[in-house]
Amino acid sequence: MNVDTRPQYAKGVKLRHEGDGSAMLLVPEGALELNQAAAAALDLVDGSRSLDDIVAAIVARFEVSRERAQLDVTDLLERLNARGFIILR
Amino acid sequence: MNPPRPLSLLCELTYRCNLQCAYCYNPVALDEYRDELSTEQWSTVLQQAADLGVVQAHFSGGEPTLRRDLPSIVAAASRSGLYTNLITQGTFLGDALLDRLIESGLNHIQISIQAPQAEMADHIAGAAVHDRKLTAIERVRDRNVALTVNCVLHRFNHDAIEGVIALAETLRITRLELANTQFYGWAYRNRGALIPTRRQVEHGERIVAAARERLRGRMEISYVFPDYFDEFPKPCMNGWGRQFITVAPNGYVFPCPAAATITTLQFENVRGRGLAEIWRDSDSFSRYRGTAWMSEPCRSCPRRELDWGGCRCQAFLLTGNAGATDPVCSLSPDHASIVALRDPQGKDEPIPRRA
Repeated sequence: MNVDTRPQYAKGVKLRHEGDGSAMLLVPEGALELNQAAAAALDLVDGSRSLDDIVAAIVARFEVSRERAQLDVTDLLERLNARGFIILR
Repeated sequence: MNPPRPLSLLCELTYRCNLQCAYCYNPVALDEYRDELSTEQWSTVLQQAADLGVVQAHFSGGEPTLRRDLPSIVAAASRSGLYTNLITQGTFLGDALLDRLIESGLNHIQISIQAPQAEMADHIAGAAVHDRKLTAIERVRDRNVALTVNCVLHRFNHDAIEGVIALAETLRITRLELANTQFYGWAYRNRGALIPTRRQVEHGERIVAAARERLRGRMEISYVFPDYFDEFPKPCMNGWGRQFITVAPNGYVFPCPAAATITTLQFENVRGRGLAEIWRDSDSFSRYRGTAWMSEPCRSCPRRELDWGGCRCQAFLLTGNAGATDPVCSLSPDHASIVALRDPQGKDEPIPRRA
């Protein structure tokens, strides 16, 4: 994956926000708890925003360097891609 | 102690089924479950579950598509904000029903197959349904709903694992679940005939590992190991009364789909009490919640919050005491009873499940 990759959810994968500010990724037959930064990144996954767009938004919102944000978001998306929950194209 | 938040509700809508799989975990005595909850009662249960914090509703059975009101029940779950999952054997999943279910908000469908070829599959299912299942799988695959294909493994199809994976590839399936039989209900009754051999288990593990490597990025394969061959028990339901609620067709509420097995517990019914109270206050949910109920060797075990003592139903079935350590555990004083089953002798024929 590179900065122009536009991630999207696979069928049957949904982000769910909780009242207390936390979030979960609902997947077939399970739910993954997300930290705040992961939830913020996944909130922007829509098949049209690129990795670059998502990283820029995270940098603007959290006190984090661009390099760190890019590493973390890439790692998150690749792990979810390996389980078939996120499509990278 | 404050009870944890449940995440998942299994709605067993009916125990009726047109197939006769001998590995079914449904209760052997099905008569008492015929008085099924109505559409409205299921809608209430689903809303109560959502209010409790549940995020996912799973619809199973029996065969849930035998309920004519399935789309209405799925729609009620969606209205309550729940993620919805249908667990079906697929023989009634025609275009019209499938479209109605998707319009009702269905998120995911799991369809089971019994084997790679019709001859073996139809023998296991007790009906000529394999080809219809494959058609249903293709229908679901081509629509806007997620799909998992599942195959329950046992002695009669274990050697066909490679064929099941090849079939899933041919069908362009992206999620495959290969799950060894869990020995409850009909499957427990038939365990002497169904338990795989040690050679089959070892062979199966190698096949699955190689297929996962080869299909990485194309197909996610989940594999449920046969716990009778393990040294430590499975963390059954991630702990009793911790995340899961099962509601049986007649409204009885269980911490797991097999819990009716435990005749030393009194279970409650959504017809008599709200789901939140049952979850929080009932003896059946509280009895084995957490770790305080444990005796040795669990009580002092460093794994006690990893496997939660294993499966209460299995402990009851194999020792008569639901509070005992799951005999799958090599530390259990009853472990020899499991080891003795690992080399099945003879050629028992399983008894087909009756509806």
